[in-house]
Amino acid sequence: MADWEIWVVIFVLALATAATRSGFWLVGHRVTIPKRVQEMLRYAPACALAAIVAPDLILAADGQPVLDASNLKLVAGIVATVYYLLRRNMLETIIFGMAFFTALRLISVI
Amino acid sequence: MIESSPAAAAPCVATHHEPSWRAGVKTGLPSLFGIGAWGLVVGIAMVKSGLTIPQALGMTLVVFAGSAQLAALPLIAADAPIWVIFVTALVVNLRFVIFSALLAPHFAHLPWRQRLTLGYVSGDISVALFLQKYPSPAPEIGKLSYLKGLLYPNWASWQIGSIAGVLLGSVVPPEWNLSFAGTLAIICVMVPLTAGRPALCGVLVAGAVSVLAHGLPYKLGLLAAVLAGMLSAMLVGETAEKLRSKHG
Repeated sequence: MADWEIWVVIFVLALATAATRSGFWLVGHRVTIPKRVQEMLRYAPACALAAIVAPDLILAADGQPVLDASNLKLVAGIVATVYYLLRRNMLETIIFGMAFFTALRLISVI
Repeated sequence: MIESSPAAAAPCVATHHEPSWRAGVKTGLPSLFGIGAWGLVVGIAMVKSGLTIPQALGMTLVVFAGSAQLAALPLIAADAPIWVIFVTALVVNLRFVIFSALLAPHFAHLPWRQRLTLGYVSGDISVALFLQKYPSPAPEIGKLSYLKGLLYPNWASWQIGSIAGVLLGSVVPPEWNLSFAGTLAIICVMVPLTAGRPALCGVLVAGAVSVLAHGLPYKLGLLAAVLAGMLSAMLVGETAEKLRSKHG
């Protein structure tokens, strides 16, 4: 891609961000969302976060799902989730999870 | 002293409210580490995929959407048509439509410029944390300050991480897997939102569908997963309610 084309792409990506993130803020008060849809939206953030996280934890680099102990990210992710459930502290969980994952990775290399 | 007197300052959502701003910063603080690390990874990915340093800096400052940026990089490298990149970014960002629909009613009274900016800088984690504290859109003093306390540091740590990633470029070994810190941050936000059987069911379905539909073009799997998760959560909730009214 030529330099100017990449700048067009950057502009277009910014447009997509603005449309999706700010659209409802600008026109939302003129649109009423039906009650059933509102009910559904209540569950949306958790579902969206799960949809982002799950492939990262489960899929290997080749796109195949790996559900056993050889998947270090999955193991570290589950352990970190349990840690969070017990301690309810995000920063501790991130540091613990990264340390645990790095330890697993180094052990598996040896 | 004068500001703290309730008679002097008319209660208004838009008035700066120092304790709420600080509470927002404090609530968001633990997630900043993960956000910064995630930004770092995206910064490195941009340079490694062949963008020049000015292009990569431009992208991080203007676009501010990690997953959309990551999705666009291979398409840029493959010389995909610009409209395809646009549609991909729209779909990857669709979850923000839902987030903004949840958040917008809280601040409908603000001037449009402010709404545009606030919407533009609202990330996943900040929105989830905000809705945890303020589930109802009823106006409350300090609400806006609390949101700003979440959003602005989140934006700053993303940009600092991302710019560092662009400048460090290829120095960081990929096997460190720094993006995993971002994943861990998302898990910590997701867990409290998963209270109750319908939400848990929704999360499991969304996760499973997004893994199974991962190969779909234009990241459509993500959208399918969110829709499937929401529908199943709602069905479980409604079924439980029906059973309760039958027996109760």
